[in-house]
Amino acid sequence: MEKTKSDNNERSKIIYKGIEFAHPSEEQCAKILDFYGIKWEYEPNTFPIEWDKDGNVTQSFSPDFYLPDLDLYIELTTMSQKLITKKNRKIRKLKELYPNIKIKVFYQKDFKNLLRKYGLPKPY
Amino acid sequence: MRKIGINQRKIAFFTGGIMLNDDIEKVLITEAEIKYKVHELGEIISSDYEGKDLVLVSVLRGGVVFVADLMRSISIPLTIDFMAISSYGPSTETSGVVKVLKDLEENIYNRHVVVVEDIIDTGLTLGYLLRNLESRKPASINICVLLNKPARRIVDLPIKYKGFDVPDLFVVGYGLDYQQNYRHLPYVGILKKEVYEI
Repeated sequence: MEKTKSDNNERSKIIYKGIEFAHPSEEQCAKILDFYGIKWEYEPNTFPIEWDKDGNVTQSFSPDFYLPDLDLYIELTTMSQKLITKKNRKIRKLKELYPNIKIKVFYQKDFKNLLRKYGLPKPY
Repeated sequence: MRKIGINQRKIAFFTGGIMLNDDIEKVLITEAEIKYKVHELGEIISSDYEGKDLVLVSVLRGGVVFVADLMRSISIPLTIDFMAISSYGPSTETSGVVKVLKDLEENIYNRHVVVVEDIIDTGLTLGYLLRNLESRKPASINICVLLNKPARRIVDLPIKYKGFDVPDLFVVGYGLDYQQNYRHLPYVGILKKEVYEI
């Protein structure tokens, strides 16, 4: 894992395999997938989920990972359960508009339990 | 971890009561329920593999208790073997990959393999194992799992023989551990939160 400190602000960049992740949990997830030989792509697709009356996209959703061999998207949600209503609404819309897409959502609790299973500390 | 005293063990043994470990919140699947299910699975496997060259492959260390009971519930000739693979953990190096720590001693080419696991959770470990075993060209390969925890499944695997579906709770016992403890418990129990939450 390469980790570099941003020069112009205090925010640390999370870089693994040359990809900058938005959150340490995503980097951890990528490493777990690599360990078990599961191919992944980070945010490869953005799905429009809301349009204005002129047909312009007003809201879209980019799942965190796509696993091509499993044809599965993974979304990690590390927000607390109370704050995820908005994201759940997005995921619901995604499923309605793209019913053929398989997506698995890992909530904070799920991911925490997964890390515990591997004996890892929380990355946030 | 609090340990069960010898007297408690004796009381539990002689009374036929449940030997409840102090760290267990609740028994999820009793010893009797496990025995019944294992026997049922053994009968089905015996019937499905009648006249076939059956190899049970168990994954160390969690699958040991289950395979030991299961094999004694199977009435047809069989061979057992074990595999151990490294799991992801804090000491995993960057770009680390699964390593086979103990490989099979049996040649499974053209034989009928049943992989026996204690639990399937994300499916990542078993998915890797299946890919590894399939490359050795067995005649068939199926999965037998005591506990199926579908909540966190990433790799969907065809489970032919299944004991119980379990919710996304921290379960231990009957081969399942937390920091290598509790595998010896004869039941599957839910671990108390204060044991693993610091």
